[in-house]
Amino acid sequence: MISRLSDDRSRAAIAASIERRRVDTRGLLFRTLLQSCLLITLALLAVLLITVALDSTDQLGTRLWEFLQGTLRSRSEDERLGIHQGMYGSLWIAIIVAVLAFPIGIGAAVYLEEYAPRNRFTAFIEVNIRNLAGVPSVVYGLLGLALLLNGQIFGLDRLTGGSSALSGGITLAILVLPIVVITSGEAFRAVPIELREGAYGVGATRWEMIRTQVLPYAAPGILTGTLLSMARAVGEAAPLILVGAISGRLGDNPGLFDISALTDRFTALPIVITTWTVQSGRDVGFTAAAAAAIVVLLVFVLMMNSAAILLRNRFEKKRG
Amino acid sequence: MRKPRRRLLWLPVILVTLSLMAAACGGDEVEEEASAVSGEVSISGSSTVEPISIRVAELFEDVAPDVSVTVDGPGTGDGFKLFCEGATDISDASRQIKDAEKEDCFEAGITDIVELKVAVDGIALMTNASNDAVECLSFHQLFDLIGPNGEGTSTWAEASAGLPDAPLDIFGPGEESGTFDSFVEIVLEDQAEEAGVEATTRTDYSPSGDDNVILQGIQSSGTSLGWVGFAFAVNASGVKLLEVDGGNGCVEPTEAAIASNEYPVSRDLWIYVNADKAAANPAITAYLDFYVSDALTQAVNEVGYIPLTDAAHTETADRWHNRTLIS
Repeated sequence: MISRLSDDRSRAAIAASIERRRVDTRGLLFRTLLQSCLLITLALLAVLLITVALDSTDQLGTRLWEFLQGTLRSRSEDERLGIHQGMYGSLWIAIIVAVLAFPIGIGAAVYLEEYAPRNRFTAFIEVNIRNLAGVPSVVYGLLGLALLLNGQIFGLDRLTGGSSALSGGITLAILVLPIVVITSGEAFRAVPIELREGAYGVGATRWEMIRTQVLPYAAPGILTGTLLSMARAVGEAAPLILVGAISGRLGDNPGLFDISALTDRFTALPIVITTWTVQSGRDVGFTAAAAAAIVVLLVFVLMMNSAAILLRNRFEKKRG
Repeated sequence: MRKPRRRLLWLPVILVTLSLMAAACGGDEVEEEASAVSGEVSISGSSTVEPISIRVAELFEDVAPDVSVTVDGPGTGDGFKLFCEGATDISDASRQIKDAEKEDCFEAGITDIVELKVAVDGIALMTNASNDAVECLSFHQLFDLIGPNGEGTSTWAEASAGLPDAPLDIFGPGEESGTFDSFVEIVLEDQAEEAGVEATTRTDYSPSGDDNVILQGIQSSGTSLGWVGFAFAVNASGVKLLEVDGGNGCVEPTEAAIASNEYPVSRDLWIYVNADKAAANPAITAYLDFYVSDALTQAVNEVGYIPLTDAAHTETADRWHNRTLIS
């Protein structure tokens, strides 16, 4: 066996490992290196979370309910200071992204993967979608500004009410659309060829094959990808600034499910966090408010992710 | 029988108290009228004036809870653009409206505009309290020291001939700050244009978004130089406020000198009102009635600007109540 190896060095290594029982120092070193990489990642995350959590106690510990109900204020000690307007904006942005980007994105992915012929043109389209996923978010903000606010195309600004949560949601839906197409496409590609051939073998049409085999099998993967993209949308601030999210004072404080406020001026959690962080230079109390807003955003994203995991587990059980 | 008689004895006392309370409330006409008003007010414009409009709106909320005031601060120029499109009711401005902007408004059919001065923004130039070598700086010297041409200089003398040969440590607000913009616009802009350089500061100074950090910087160096909003600097210890010469001799920064614009590093802050919209919308009228009342002084003090003198405040109130239009 050993003599068949062409490389002298590997022959020597194997001979050494067989003949001498010595400690594999290099292997151990490599393993420790990898472990410390993980440790650094976790430590950074822990430091971030702990400082934010500690900073937020001034707001969340003493006046949690008021903070969740309150509005943008100019002074941090104001008893009406709170996050409710930001929660309204972010909640509806998430809903609009789910309603718009998911069906369109998944639909486009189904067509690209299952129906479209493989030629230069579709390859060109796919490359472009991948590039679009890497375009900086500010650029999408500019697109939203031109499309939904300035009414340069189709007069859409009359529909969205100009600078509104609806405009913000649509802009971010466009932003995550390429990501949804890519992640869904990958989920479709992971469906085993045997499943498809089996379906065709019993006489299924292409539509029946997709409906009964491909979609159920790919569902968990699609779900993970789409919900991650939703978390991305909820965390974006730059496009919303261009779409005119308010950082000063927002007169109304609509209930979380008050649809009529969708076309009014709006703000969102990342905008509130940015504003309060800037204001903490002038008014130290805003440090706690900004930290509390970060905690609220984290909980919001965490809730979405756990919903995704629960749904995925259900789909996976079905599949098994 | 005893109990009812006792109650009867208390009745006149209660009645008198109630009528006194009613009289006290009735005394403030603004509040009684405003409490029933509802509607929306939309404000945009200068981010320098934004905090005043916000604070007034917050105080107004206690009087008229059904009026919804939304305030945004993209900048004076952007604010006038929206105002002249009819998108906003009130425009905050850190300068007076330009003729070109006025023309745009008039052409768009927005001809009834009320211009109101609401506060004065003053910036204090400071050095360490122990620094006896400098008392007064001219605009020209400030441009040499802090303007873009000062880049790379490390002593006062090197930056501006005639000043002491001592280390120059500069502390000021960062670019994102309204006080940074104010300083550039008031002191540096005109001179930069003359010198043919960009209207900004040198980049090699210590910027901070936190006024306290700027103060600590000034206190840390014996020959420091820096600038912050006057209201913040005037109460600070360990720093000396410098006199400034804007062309008419050295003027000491005091509240009175700033309110009268005698101190050169100061500027008036304005709001512009669309009078047609105000006439059609009682919420705007009620908000502005409140804006020009005593609440303005409280709000301006709280957000750190210099309130108007009594005479100027009266003039602002009169201009609003008489709807004095600009032409």
